[in-house]
Amino acid sequence: MSTGEEQSGDDAGEQAIEPTEAKVAELQSLLGDHVLDTEEHLNAPAIVIRPDAVQAVLSTLKEEAGYDHCSCVTAQQYPDRYESIYHLKKYADPTDEVSVVVPTARDDPTSESGAPVYETASWHEREAYDLVGIDYDDHPDLRRILLPDTWQGHPLREDYDQDRPQIVTLRENANPLLEDHRGSEEEGESDTMFLNIGPHHPATHGVLHLETVLDGEQVLDVDPDIGYLHRCEEQMCQQGTYRHQIMPYPDRWDYISAGLLNEWAYARTAEDLADIEVPEYAQVIRTMGAELCRIASHMLAMGTFALDINGDFTATFMWAIRERERAQSVLEELTGQRLMFNYFRLGGVAWDLPSPREDFFELTRDFLDGLPEATREFHDLLTNNEIMQLRTIDTGVIDPETAKDFGCTGPVARASGIDYDLRRDDPYGYYDELEWDVVTEDGCDNYSRLLVRMREVEQSAKIIDQCIDLLEDWPEDEREIQSNVPRTLKPERDTEIYRAVEGAKGELGIYIRADGTDKPGRFKIRSPCFSNLQSLPAMAEGEYIPDLVAALGSLDIVLGEVDR
Amino acid sequence: MIGVLKAMATTMKRAVGDNTFTVEYPEETPEVSARFRGVHKFSQERCIWCRQCENVCPNDTIQIVTDEQRNGEQYNLHIGQCVYCRLCEEVCPVDAIILTQNFEFTGDTKDDLVYNKEQLMSVPWYKDIDPLESREPDRGAWIGEGEGEVDYQ
Amino acid sequence: MSAGFGPLLAAVTLLQSNGATMLPEWLADVLRLDGLGVAGTAIAALIGAFVIANVLLINAALAGPWAKRKIAAAFWGKLGPNRMGPGGTLIIVADALRMLSKELIVPEGADRPAWDIAPIIVAGSAMLGFAVIPFGKIGGVQVQLADPEIGLVLVFAIASVTSVGLVMGGYASKNKYSMLGSLRAVAQNIAYEIPLIVSAGSVVIFAGTLQLSGIVDAQTETLVSVGGFGIPAWYAFVNPFAFILFLTANLAEVGRNPFDIPEAPTEIVAGYQTEYSSVYFVLIYLGEFLHIFLGGALAAVVFLGGGAGPVLPGPVWLIVKMWAFFLFTQWARQTFPRVRIDQLIEIGWKGLLVLAFANLILTAVLVGFLEGDVEFAFASLQVITA
Repeated sequence: MSTGEEQSGDDAGEQAIEPTEAKVAELQSLLGDHVLDTEEHLNAPAIVIRPDAVQAVLSTLKEEAGYDHCSCVTAQQYPDRYESIYHLKKYADPTDEVSVVVPTARDDPTSESGAPVYETASWHEREAYDLVGIDYDDHPDLRRILLPDTWQGHPLREDYDQDRPQIVTLRENANPLLEDHRGSEEEGESDTMFLNIGPHHPATHGVLHLETVLDGEQVLDVDPDIGYLHRCEEQMCQQGTYRHQIMPYPDRWDYISAGLLNEWAYARTAEDLADIEVPEYAQVIRTMGAELCRIASHMLAMGTFALDINGDFTATFMWAIRERERAQSVLEELTGQRLMFNYFRLGGVAWDLPSPREDFFELTRDFLDGLPEATREFHDLLTNNEIMQLRTIDTGVIDPETAKDFGCTGPVARASGIDYDLRRDDPYGYYDELEWDVVTEDGCDNYSRLLVRMREVEQSAKIIDQCIDLLEDWPEDEREIQSNVPRTLKPERDTEIYRAVEGAKGELGIYIRADGTDKPGRFKIRSPCFSNLQSLPAMAEGEYIPDLVAALGSLDIVLGEVDR
Repeated sequence: MIGVLKAMATTMKRAVGDNTFTVEYPEETPEVSARFRGVHKFSQERCIWCRQCENVCPNDTIQIVTDEQRNGEQYNLHIGQCVYCRLCEEVCPVDAIILTQNFEFTGDTKDDLVYNKEQLMSVPWYKDIDPLESREPDRGAWIGEGEGEVDYQ
Repeated sequence: MSAGFGPLLAAVTLLQSNGATMLPEWLADVLRLDGLGVAGTAIAALIGAFVIANVLLINAALAGPWAKRKIAAAFWGKLGPNRMGPGGTLIIVADALRMLSKELIVPEGADRPAWDIAPIIVAGSAMLGFAVIPFGKIGGVQVQLADPEIGLVLVFAIASVTSVGLVMGGYASKNKYSMLGSLRAVAQNIAYEIPLIVSAGSVVIFAGTLQLSGIVDAQTETLVSVGGFGIPAWYAFVNPFAFILFLTANLAEVGRNPFDIPEAPTEIVAGYQTEYSSVYFVLIYLGEFLHIFLGGALAAVVFLGGGAGPVLPGPVWLIVKMWAFFLFTQWARQTFPRVRIDQLIEIGWKGLLVLAFANLILTAVLVGFLEGDVEFAFASLQVITA
């Protein structure tokens, strides 16, 4: 039995042989002698370019070939070279991908920065510099991003001593009590104020530090400082076996109830990498579980956004949490856990629906039946409330072009009118067989982002409802929840793949390079929160402090996923 | 103004209605799913000391010590470090390690959470639910995995 | 604080009271302190102030650690405190012990005397306002410490002293969040004090007096009688528009949602009170609740007939009305998003102030015509056309 996902994958594979070659040839003629070589990644053709031609190549690809979405930048070290890979896509068609590989010499890893072309590359390159130690020429602001400024060495280099602990003492950190006149033109004669928002602040949704320069109540400049929750998630995945040991960890990237969505990101990537088929029945269960997670996650996003605007633990927050609890109860019946599910397996899911199945269907239906009333209440409390409208409409505005430049995805992009949803545009699971709509709003402001999430909850409920119908009628002898997957997976050496799914926060992608063992050689997570958070300054500068807080809330970031 | 008044009506309606959602734990204990994964329970009678659980564990939570004849001597499990992924239960060919529904455990220090064989054997069932029994309908799904083709090393 | 100023005010204004016996007078009479002359009056006033202050403290204690949580729990579908004592009421004792036993942390570089005085001003000014609030009558005794002719103005003046405390605390804390909070407090208080007073002013036109007992007395008549059931001539019924304005401005004045901008927990941490802990925090917290109750008491006296009500004695009714206002603030807290500081100022200056003045002048015209004082009405009309 072939699945929807595999079918589309196979079709693409069969048809793609010719077009891929044509595409590569076309790109080669477009880029001329910047191209050193071409490679084949599992998801896209890769062109290897000279390190001093990065900007030329990227801007040609962006302006002339239409690759307007730089979804990720991965850096890694090989025995003989360093490599930066720019994963490019099109917002209009995310299946049209190309990887730009920039090799640099081992003794002098310097390449040109892509940040002037894609704004989003700025943070990704900072991360590459921080962890791998590649220097990017012409980068506007090449500082460490995840590790403290005083850190010695670059942890992902082969010669880095991973066993030597580095303790950054308090003394080495900037003293927040000292006078700080950042942002003022002349020392001492300023009418601006530097303010540390976070890392411990009620509105930062975790340990985020916003270095803010204020003029009165207005935000002149804001610089997010991340890395407080860096847990080496990528490296932990590199130490786990494909087959079993990696799957528990995605739950912990975005730990705000988006577990199954994250697991799916890994499952999709690894299944494509190892060419594993997933039974259709399992795909339906996956789709249902993932949408339950999306509802839970959006409920929390709405609740915390209301909390940021209301400023107290108020009814809206509590009611949102309650709806989330209901979704979690359904998920608990299905997966056994409320947050850290570990429910997906490569090639399917761990468990069939709990028996008696009727009880589970009833529980889920009850939850779905309660949702319209709950959303109506949220509309009464939030979107239809004039004070809320006063606070959110036309604040935190980000126009579509800027949003694309920052690599925004998910509800943030869709609220800026970018019609981009991987569930539809790069279908996986059972989504393309179901009836649902991609929600977009044109307001580009905080209000639109709230509205998009609320309307997406309705769409998710629609998807779950259809999945329940399908599962109810599924013939009993065809309920195959896992395909036959070998106990040890050893994908071929130097196979590379980048795959993404639509997480609750946006495009959650994973890049894996296999090194011939049963563990990944390089595991890189493209976190939607990371890119979305990067766009905060574009939204908040010039606004008032309350709107900065509201814009941050509307981004719905989870620091666990930002810092990984 | 209408929206504001409607919002006030919405909150007040909930406040005067009987809508208590929380329960008074521990007087009222929650019903947990049959699949819920709590503290581990170990069965020495069943264990064949094959070490598969130790190998599959993603973060080295399980430590097994055997003598030269591969007879089991120690079985230590750090329940504070465990991520409750249930891979050990899933991989165990003889159901010697099971995750009970019991989530009520404490320790004053991290060391208190390192359970040895005896402690793991005496973990009580939560509400007398034997997860093996309650999960039974679904167990075939993973026990029969691969149907003979699976490589058990 | 009321103990300090109460007797003075009482002494000054004793002579002006009319009709019923005032509380200090009655106390002096009962305790036979007459023989001591002025000192006796002062002692009696002191005792009176002590009694009233304690009644208020009990109310604030009930409201802060217990009622607020219970009310919030009702809105949230939760249970609220229920483990300590009957209905969880002993949480008050537990919370008081907890708060008072905490370490008092003084921020480095705090402006010491100002930092210490600020909480006292915040709590004291709210308490002081009650010195002139008429709690209604029990028997022939008017439960009120002092009844000056300018009572309404005085109570507004006292209430706005709180902002001085907020600014002191915020500035002296040497914390940028506190600083922002205190600046917001000033901006907000100025913007809302004026509409508050002006909307109360329309009542003064009706009542023709600034004396609070006079305003209460003016509301005792029956407005209309529906089936033998009389609706009293409370100014909330006579002039509901002014009442709504007053309530809104009062919410902002006491700094509650949607106008809790000086604290704004998600934006500026806790505003002016960020650095306060232990006893000082208790004082500020207490001051907040006393302030809410003072706002409620004012609304009750000016618009809701003071201690008027059937069966129960006056003070009980006034406290019930205070609690009604407290409930209203909690209801608003659960419902409304907070407005932004610039929007708040805009609503204050461009919205409420204009409406309040329009209301005042229209009231003046109406009252002038009704009372046949054509000259007065004509003058008011001239003001409008001008």
